[in-house]
Amino acid sequence: MRDDVPNNTPPKYLLAAETAEGAVITLGSADSWEELLDLLAGQPENDGVPPMAYRLIRTAETEAAVKKKPRREYFANFRGAGGAGREDDGTESAPWWGLDHAAANLAARRFDDLPPLAVREWIRIRHKEPFTPGALERRKRIKEAVAEYVFLAMTAALVIPIVAILAYLVVKAWPALSFSFIFQNSEDSQAGGIWAPLVGTFFLVWISLIISAPIGVLAGVYLNEYARDNWFTRLINLAVVNLAGVPSIVHALFGVGAFVLAAGMGQSLLAASCTVAIMTLPVIIASTREALAAVPMAFREACWNLGATRWQTIRTLVLPNSISGILTGVILQVSRAAGETAPILFTGAALFTSFPYHLDQPFMALSMHLYAICTQLQGVSDSVQYGTAVVLIGLVLAVNGLSIGLRVYLRSRKKW
Amino acid sequence: MTDGWRLFKRAAEWLIEAVVRLCGWSAILFIFAIFFFIFHKTWPLFAEGFDLREFLTSARWQPTSTVHPCYGILALLVGTLAVTGLAMALAVPLGLGAAVYLSEFAGGKTKEILKIVIELLATVPSVVWGFIGYMVLGPIIIAVTGAPVGVNLLNGGIILALMSVPVIVSVGEDALKAVPDSYREAALALGASRWEIVYRVLFPAAKSGLLAAVLLGVGRAIGETMAVLMATGHAAQIPHSLLDPICTLTATIAAELGEAPRDGTHYRVLFLIGVVLFVITFIVNLTADLVVKGIRTEKE
Amino acid sequence: MTAYSIQTRDLNLWYGKFHALKDVTVNVKPGVITALIGPSGCGKTTLLRSFNRINERYPSVTTKGEIEILGKNIYDSDVSLSELRKSVGMVFQRPNPLPISVYENVIFGLRVHRRRGELHRRQLDAIVESSLRDVQLWDDVKDKLRTKATRLTLEQQQKLCIARLLPQKPRVLLMDEPCSALDGEGIERIETLIESLRHKYTILMVTHNMGQARRASHECLFMLLGRIVEHAPTLEIFLNPKEKETELYITGRYG
Ligand SMILES: Nc1ncnc2c1ncn2[C@@H]1O[C@H](COP(=O)(O)OP(=O)(O)OP(=O)(O)O)[C@@H](O)[C@H]1O
Ligand SMILES: [Mg+2]
Repeated sequence: MRDDVPNNTPPKYLLAAETAEGAVITLGSADSWEELLDLLAGQPENDGVPPMAYRLIRTAETEAAVKKKPRREYFANFRGAGGAGREDDGTESAPWWGLDHAAANLAARRFDDLPPLAVREWIRIRHKEPFTPGALERRKRIKEAVAEYVFLAMTAALVIPIVAILAYLVVKAWPALSFSFIFQNSEDSQAGGIWAPLVGTFFLVWISLIISAPIGVLAGVYLNEYARDNWFTRLINLAVVNLAGVPSIVHALFGVGAFVLAAGMGQSLLAASCTVAIMTLPVIIASTREALAAVPMAFREACWNLGATRWQTIRTLVLPNSISGILTGVILQVSRAAGETAPILFTGAALFTSFPYHLDQPFMALSMHLYAICTQLQGVSDSVQYGTAVVLIGLVLAVNGLSIGLRVYLRSRKKW
Repeated sequence: MTDGWRLFKRAAEWLIEAVVRLCGWSAILFIFAIFFFIFHKTWPLFAEGFDLREFLTSARWQPTSTVHPCYGILALLVGTLAVTGLAMALAVPLGLGAAVYLSEFAGGKTKEILKIVIELLATVPSVVWGFIGYMVLGPIIIAVTGAPVGVNLLNGGIILALMSVPVIVSVGEDALKAVPDSYREAALALGASRWEIVYRVLFPAAKSGLLAAVLLGVGRAIGETMAVLMATGHAAQIPHSLLDPICTLTATIAAELGEAPRDGTHYRVLFLIGVVLFVITFIVNLTADLVVKGIRTEKE
Repeated sequence: MTAYSIQTRDLNLWYGKFHALKDVTVNVKPGVITALIGPSGCGKTTLLRSFNRINERYPSVTTKGEIEILGKNIYDSDVSLSELRKSVGMVFQRPNPLPISVYENVIFGLRVHRRRGELHRRQLDAIVESSLRDVQLWDDVKDKLRTKATRLTLEQQQKLCIARLLPQKPRVLLMDEPCSALDGEGIERIETLIESLRHKYTILMVTHNMGQARRASHECLFMLLGRIVEHAPTLEIFLNPKEKETELYITGRYG
């Protein structure tokens, strides 16, 4: 009993309910805390709409006024069920289940140092509908939405500017783009006319493809069909990974050292094609392997059981079943070869040469041409520069779109 | 006749297998060949008593000076590191964010389209990126910052970021996709939201894959040539601000090899820079590969 | 106060066009272990997975009907999936601890459902210890709390998967063949563990093993082709099944 209790009349306990409309209705009174809890436990559960909250109040007998704020707030599920024997602490994240459960826990005062209520003090027990979000959960939802939008914005921050730039290039290039721009040669490089470099790129792509496709495909076949899992194979894999990572300018140096000088090719279409071929080799190896690995092992075993040799199996079964995947890689190689500049810079590409090209002569290429008219030559009109860039992008994207289309088409009709 | 035929077939089979084997080994061959041919060109330098220490520690790159040519690549190295660092600072958060969005949030058509767009971005040739930096981004930078030249560290960094993002996104997405679905289900069943799954489960589970993605992006950025050549302004100096023009290892080779007299010191030093680049990217790629291997063995 | 902790009424579920649950109406009691038995592919997992609505991950799933858990319709619009799954814990067929430390696995639920800084280090330690003790795992892993959970043995992993549900104070535990990845002794220990937990939780357990259903459950639900065929106390189902199919199944004639 606290000292500040005014007189000897025993204070009274009240049970009240808060309705959804905000009214507070007194439900009953009790002479002791225990009795009050019994009263609480006896309230009907699970019939229609429960009150928003119950108030457990201790008043002075003479006046009904109580403090503005409750001493504590608890949470309980007024609908009951599933409560008995559980150790919940009446917080929003671990509410009591059922009023008897709440009353039992309050009686045991297990969950805080709650001393008996002083006069004019009260506690509130709020209804927590099961599985509904609490304050934390609501904040979590906001976080979740923010996270999603941030990630979306990050993606957009990558995609939108680039797409915008590409669109801008096309707009700037528009005045120059014409049939004659692409299919004619100009006397000087100033006026546009990119037929010569376009043809040069075409040759470069084909020759490098002729060199790298057989080596790359067979290397993929070796790695997927022949190689055992030993240190040597790991070494090859490592070499492939690193070959893909060697900077293009280093490939150019290699091309100069090996093809231009050592092999005596000079700066020529052939030397440039060899350099590009080696540079793009890993693309073909990787996609061939992937395509071969997609052919189920069981197919091969069935074939071996018929007495076919390894190569026969590969030729008659594995390659036909993976040819489309291999093709995708080949197309990818084409698009890379068409765009490369650094490796052909010193191995064969020239600012200006005469038609027709020979294998042992320098040639013009679109990528090199773009570099030249942009930084080396003065006075080339903007729209010609943009036009060249757009044609180069268009070329590469078209080739790539082809490969993606092929892949999507194949995936849609895959049989196994 | 059948015997002869069989013998022929066996020989053919043997021959084909030999060819396949040879092609399989070609990657190793080429790696060694690349190293050999580049290194070979630099060999006379050491016979002449080339000062390797100055090469690595001096910031003075004056190869064409007639009085006293200097071959210090420190400024170039710093340029490469600066532009790569800036590019990664931009590309890593965005790239990984996009990877997370693609693998965990986007669904159905959006995902397909975004993946295709990003894949297409990966194929835009580097010379076009250089062109964009030079013609589009440069004037924008001048207009926004008032810098005297638009081709500088900032320009190169942005362009390189855009270039390396596709690698980061696709490798990062693969890494996230490789996280077993049972982890997601477990976390979901414990009441985690998608964001919580991402940062409490997927990031720890996929961290080596994500690291590999970043490393591959770094490798790509260090080795990039044409774009940085055109977009960074080509001035061999240690940059003090984002708006300083810089020069990188790759761009130096690309810009100067054509003019350097064949087999002169300058020419050979450019090959030596090639060796340095080769070694750097080799280390980065090797690390990325080991990191990926690390995941794979742990999975088993 | 409802006497049942899980009630479904005419629950139907489709995977795309495939009708996986057909008019399922069941009432599951709290405080006892209910076993869900039936031949492979009859929809046991599907039924279990609809109780925490985790089936909704698959975009092709459509559900019709009512599920009431602890008196609340879980398809009500104010239900939060995260809160639902906090109260309805799930143990999967294959142990799937998260690839983080044992310690973090146990308190993963708290990290998700409590405010940061709400729980102090010491409280967390205590919770980890008591949860691990509850599943009789503490002695095995008390020196390995910082190791990755995926390094534990399968049995330890499965116990951990049960332990990590406890700190969130779930009401219902759904267990999908919790013992199928374990050996004989492991099974026995997990069964004892589940039995020891039953007073505090409503436990619904899928099992393929008739012996286990008989040993470890108080009530049995027999499913066939997406329908509930029989629901009765375990002894009754095993000694005196009402339906022909039930009898055929428990005597091992099919399934
Ligand atoms: N994600 C899904 N998509 C399509 N069909 C599914 C999916 N999951 C399950 N099914 C089908 O629903 C039916 C019920 O599957 P469920 O996994 O619930 O069976 P089960 O009784 O748990 O079987 P088991 O004893 O083998 O675990 C099966 O026929 C299954 O093929
Ligand atoms: Mg199942």
